[in-house]
Amino acid sequence: MGKAVGSERLGSFYTNGKVRKRREWRGVRDTFYDYTRWLHIMGILTKFIVKPRNIKAFFRYRWMGNYLAAPMMVDRHTQGLRGPQLRIAHTEFDLVMEDIAKLLDNLFRGDRKIGNDKEFSKKVVLMDENEMTAVMMGFPTLKGLSRETPSVYVSVLLNQYAACHYLDTAQEFGLSGDVCPMPAAEAGVSIEDDFPVLGACAIQCNTTCDGSLMGNGVISKRLELEDHVPCFQLAAPLRHREEDVQEYAAQEIRNAIQFIEEHTGETWDWDYYFECAKRVNESTRHRMEWLEMNKTDYPQVFGSNLALYTETNYMAICGKVPEFVDADRKISAIAEKAYRKKTMVVKEYRHRAIIWGVQSHFYFDFLIWLQNCWGILPLTDMLSMVSTKILSESDKEQAVYDMAWLTENMIMRNRTHGGYKVLLDELWEFCEEFRADTVILWEHISCKALDGMHGQFEEKARERGIHLIWVDHDLFDPRIISRQEIRDQVNRYMRTVFREEPLDPTLEVIPDEHSW
Amino acid sequence: MKDLKHLYYFEKLLEDANNELVRQARAEGRKCIATVCENIPEPLLNLPGTFSVRLRAPRTGSIEMATYYLTSFLCEYTRALLERAIEGGYNFTDCMITPDGCSMLNRCAENMELLRTMQKEHFFWEYMEIPMKADENGLNLYTLQCQNHILNPLKEQFDIDTSDAAVRKAVEEHNRVCRLIRRIGEYRREENPRITGYEFHILTMATYVAPKDLLIEMLQETLEELKTRKPEEKNPYRIRVVLVGSEVDDVDLVHLIEDCGAYVCADRFCYGSFPGRDVIELNDGEDALTQICRQYMYRGQCARYMNQDKIQERRKYVDRLAKEYHGDGIIYQQIKFCDPWAYERMVGTQVLRDEYHYPVLSVDRPYAVGNSGQLRTRVQAFVESVELKKIQGGDR
Repeated sequence: MGKAVGSERLGSFYTNGKVRKRREWRGVRDTFYDYTRWLHIMGILTKFIVKPRNIKAFFRYRWMGNYLAAPMMVDRHTQGLRGPQLRIAHTEFDLVMEDIAKLLDNLFRGDRKIGNDKEFSKKVVLMDENEMTAVMMGFPTLKGLSRETPSVYVSVLLNQYAACHYLDTAQEFGLSGDVCPMPAAEAGVSIEDDFPVLGACAIQCNTTCDGSLMGNGVISKRLELEDHVPCFQLAAPLRHREEDVQEYAAQEIRNAIQFIEEHTGETWDWDYYFECAKRVNESTRHRMEWLEMNKTDYPQVFGSNLALYTETNYMAICGKVPEFVDADRKISAIAEKAYRKKTMVVKEYRHRAIIWGVQSHFYFDFLIWLQNCWGILPLTDMLSMVSTKILSESDKEQAVYDMAWLTENMIMRNRTHGGYKVLLDELWEFCEEFRADTVILWEHISCKALDGMHGQFEEKARERGIHLIWVDHDLFDPRIISRQEIRDQVNRYMRTVFREEPLDPTLEVIPDEHSW
Repeated sequence: MKDLKHLYYFEKLLEDANNELVRQARAEGRKCIATVCENIPEPLLNLPGTFSVRLRAPRTGSIEMATYYLTSFLCEYTRALLERAIEGGYNFTDCMITPDGCSMLNRCAENMELLRTMQKEHFFWEYMEIPMKADENGLNLYTLQCQNHILNPLKEQFDIDTSDAAVRKAVEEHNRVCRLIRRIGEYRREENPRITGYEFHILTMATYVAPKDLLIEMLQETLEELKTRKPEEKNPYRIRVVLVGSEVDDVDLVHLIEDCGAYVCADRFCYGSFPGRDVIELNDGEDALTQICRQYMYRGQCARYMNQDKIQERRKYVDRLAKEYHGDGIIYQQIKFCDPWAYERMVGTQVLRDEYHYPVLSVDRPYAVGNSGQLRTRVQAFVESVELKKIQGGDR
């Protein structure tokens, strides 16, 4: 128990209840730092809650209760971290939390059922969850808000059971139980009329999969036909690497922008767009730098610290919030310093792993478990391997194609669509680049695009002598495969194939079934 | 009713993907173009010197190998196709042209490619992007994709004439089959119909899996035969249903439904005649390719069309069919594990029930229903409930 990495038995904190029995002791300096960040998160929550409309929202929306678990979620993602990694994690999570708090505050401000600020609502464009927000990069006076992100996506990160009720709702309405739980849960929220209602218009997108595309139809039925919020369906091409779809994609962007202009009365601002594009480029350069570092023996920004932050920064922020670039710079500075000092995140690095497939949302901190329990370094993950294309910072015509490219290459979508090369072949290229000996393959059982490559993954991994560890899960539904069942799949492989003992044996089996 | 003269022949055709007419066309030196989705404009695959076959896996048994590659979560249609391909069951084809219609079909085709299941030396694969919205931008995409992934490869690889004149000729032939199928299908409007839904399903399906020109004569004879065919003295059916939903190439499904007393009066599913057997109208003012694509796009009832107008239009389409063909109720079916139709079935069922006031049976089903007791029970219960309402004179 102390400041050294691996000095705490992390599994012993779990009590089979909602929260752990105590906070981690990380030595005086790190514990104090961690505590101040915990206070900061509590401050964000308090600041949010004191507004009467937000209290009203707590009572109106079932999913709002999950936000009480926000501090616990940050704690789960900082388990075992010390020094630079702890600071990187808090830099990211503080910002993500603030961003989500702002998003919620804005949603309830314009929500017809809560704040009902009509003038504000006229400046809101609703965006899909999992949608690249590139089409908002030229509208400085508008707010692009996602209703699905806080109600479903983030909720499940906070509380593993958050989506279960909405999944049941959708299934009671007649939806098959075998579809992806993410769009299913979103459909459930819509069926229950549990989305805030606001906005001058909405931009939906065929994001990651058939389920996602179809779930939008359920949402737009209520939004467009009952709430009378006009919706534009942005159809991004599936075969996004092909030259002969790019003009179509670009035209969809032009049409989407025109739709927003028509419904909000605002005009596209190229200066603001290029300002955002510069920020996107800077973020991309930072991300590339981190990935380069992860190819060495001393990776610094990886695992949980890479995955969730990249998702937020790449898609939802997309250059529109300058604070994220400030955070990028800070993270890079911390990482470079740590790299020079050859800082290690856990006491022993045993395996270098690429995390592929779609991660379990109810167990997003699995990556940190991998490193703490077994010394497996999650060097990068599929969802972080997104576009590294540098956007034009001056050419307006090229900019349309850039936005189209970003939209086609949303997180997850850039791998689940576009043919087998982007999902299958590029994985082995990354294994080589990152010198990975192991692939942890999240098999999201309801993701048909991934399931459809199951046999190919196995065969190709065998051919290349790469250890492939399947980790089955059902994305949003821990009732199908629990967190422990997820861990057991790795535990079994580590013991029976690698014949290894865990770095921290207390983490092998954790009583966290009832935990948030 | 007296058996239709050619019904047995058509049934036999459907027992094998590489059926007698396919073999005949190949013996004539024509190239066989395989596809797996209704979103590929058929006339473009049926140019002089080519014919199309939409892949099926009749008499499917074990799908263990395909399940290893695709897992048990992909729909059985895709697994059955892959299994058949691994077995070498599609080696009679010369190329595969497939759209990224749904993820599962896409993965199925990709696995076929990666596993090198097609043995012919010059076999090639083409994957197409197809629009998800019906608008001008979508039309531009569709046209370009058909040019780049159908016409150009056929020209380059097999030296097929892909000129506008050739395409128009293909449309003409396509339309002959469509008109015949449509006229045969008209008899389903009759109160005591002279053709069963099963018979019609067999005829229609044959037009998707065999060279169309080789069917025309038999279809014509069947139409003539129907003109004088006497229906059963007493209508054997208790209710009339419109069958709506995902891919159905199983000959047993319609049979099972009709065995339970529900006459399938209209077929709105992939492999059905609506809208797949709509005539394509061409004018001289515009190239044939663009016109074909426009008609395929605007008439398409595929669940993947994502704009709300198109979604609403799909419900109206079913309502219109039910009205025109005097349907008492709707059976909304989806093949199990199909994502697009899982959503479409859910919402379609609710909308047709609540807004259009039809009794709706909503079911998911395996690829080959065989004698599924579960499905039979559900259809029987549905028939009874609709019949009861009719007897009691209540609302639909």
